[in-house]
Amino acid sequence: MSRSDFDKDRPDAEERPAEAFRDDEPELAGEPERAEVDVAGYGLQVEDAETEAPDELDGDPSSRISVVSESRPRTDQEEFRWHTGTKHSVEGVEDAIEFLDVHKAFGRNRVLRGLNLGIPENRISMILGPSGTGKSVCIKHMVGLLYPDQGDILVHGESVPNMIDDELFEMRRKFGVLFQDGALFGSMNLYDNVAFPLRQHTDKGEEEIAEIVNGRLREVGLGDANDKMPNELSGGMRKRAGFARALVLDPDIVLFDEPDSGLDPVRTALLCELIKEIHEENGGAYVVITHDIASARRVAEFIAVLWRGRIVESGPAADLFASENPFVRQFLSGESQGPLGME
Amino acid sequence: MNGLLAAPRAWIETFGEIAGFCGQVLGQVFGGRVFRFFGEALRQAGILILSSTLVICGLVFIIGLQCGIEGAYFTRGTGTPTYAGVFAAWCDLRELVPYAFGYMMAAKVGTGIVAELGSMRISDEIDALEVMGINSMTFLCATRLLASWMVLPFVYIASVGAGFFASYLAVVVQIHEVSAGGYSLIFWMFQNPPDLLFSAIKAMAMATVIVLVGCYYGYNARGGPVGVGTATAKSMVLNIVLVHLIGMLGTQVFWGANPRAPIGG
Repeated sequence: MSRSDFDKDRPDAEERPAEAFRDDEPELAGEPERAEVDVAGYGLQVEDAETEAPDELDGDPSSRISVVSESRPRTDQEEFRWHTGTKHSVEGVEDAIEFLDVHKAFGRNRVLRGLNLGIPENRISMILGPSGTGKSVCIKHMVGLLYPDQGDILVHGESVPNMIDDELFEMRRKFGVLFQDGALFGSMNLYDNVAFPLRQHTDKGEEEIAEIVNGRLREVGLGDANDKMPNELSGGMRKRAGFARALVLDPDIVLFDEPDSGLDPVRTALLCELIKEIHEENGGAYVVITHDIASARRVAEFIAVLWRGRIVESGPAADLFASENPFVRQFLSGESQGPLGME
Repeated sequence: MNGLLAAPRAWIETFGEIAGFCGQVLGQVFGGRVFRFFGEALRQAGILILSSTLVICGLVFIIGLQCGIEGAYFTRGTGTPTYAGVFAAWCDLRELVPYAFGYMMAAKVGTGIVAELGSMRISDEIDALEVMGINSMTFLCATRLLASWMVLPFVYIASVGAGFFASYLAVVVQIHEVSAGGYSLIFWMFQNPPDLLFSAIKAMAMATVIVLVGCYYGYNARGGPVGVGTATAKSMVLNIVLVHLIGMLGTQVFWGANPRAPIGG
């Protein structure tokens, strides 16, 4: 089943409503008194009265580190005040994937709220944004694992939500996807995992398959791990194996769902280098979902910053890193001061 | 009032979802789509044979012993020990072997399917299949159903044999109040090939329902490992209820109007 309701409306951890996360937090006994402060127009915020900012910051409330929670509903104008939607164009490059005013909600939790985004062809694009803003939901819409409540998603000009099952399965062959934990099949060894798409979708003989699979495994540095089962591999190895499997059919578009999650900085850097090298070799549109700025600096050619279900700003990496937008500037510099709080 | 109706409404909703899901899986088997993954169906058949045959036959063997012992002591009490075969024949073929088969299928195969598919769901393996352009429902559910249809009739016949053998051991060898020939005469007189067919139909209906319910709960598992555990428990409860419903309906339909007993001419 590809389009069943069971698939379509299955929320992931990232898609949990904000209230659900708040409910999980233990109540602290003897919690300090809280005071409401409107900090530099960033919305009504609540901060611990006892957590005073240092004296030198007193005159600049926006410099305070504050724990923020929404105490009243915000208007769209307030919520999207930093969302200029500016798209710095990449000249001469067409979009491989387009989101057109996409809305998606899980119950009362509105995840995508009018998303407009173009992913350029032949570039490594990164969708960056704070946790829980709908990045993984974006990826699932691209491959038709989720369907929008409103709006459209085009892959090479074809509308994904309007495809019938057979067209959808055909279209998905353009994609390779690296899931967060590799999503290797637990019942198969590494070799069979990588060979699986070839066996299902091509008429190649076992010798040819072996040649391709071994080549891909060598490329990701797992040439000696053919016989290992997924549960015998480290997190980094599973990701690299997932990468090899994603590439084995030479896809036009490769999606990476937080390839850096759970990896140490060195392995993250090595994985990023690997992505770059393989992109240089194979080309195609690579889309990386992350909130790791170091990875973005290392590999991104195009960046889209997603917040509250809409693009704040998107464009070539250099333009985004030089952006004057306070939200983009804060997020890409990883600073605590700015429009983004703990909400 | 709304609160009172909420639970039945949820049950009906779930029942509708399960029925829809089962319809889709059956459609993929009867529509022939499953044969694109015939290799996977064969693999699943192999897993069923290797992992479940022995345990099913083992349980049915014990049930067969029980039927034999019960029949022998009951007929001894009524002064008709030579008729121990009547009880054993009916108990084995018509009732307890199908039930024991259903119980073990639910406990071993059904829960195994929920756990396997559920863990695949929460670790994104099912999504991975989908994005590779493979219909995950066909690949995971329809292949399992086809495999069960290919293998389980034979497993069931083997388990019926184990039950018969066990009853023979209990009545003739252990309790020994009837000769082997006397027991066999009565035992075979009170059953015939259509009874075996009806019994197999009962068991296959149970097996089909168990596999489909297992696939439904596994395929739609959510909520992490706890969710998989909950889905496994739910599937077990539903399967046990359905096994008894099928058992009762089967007896009513196949032997209700005509008990097929050579009594009174």
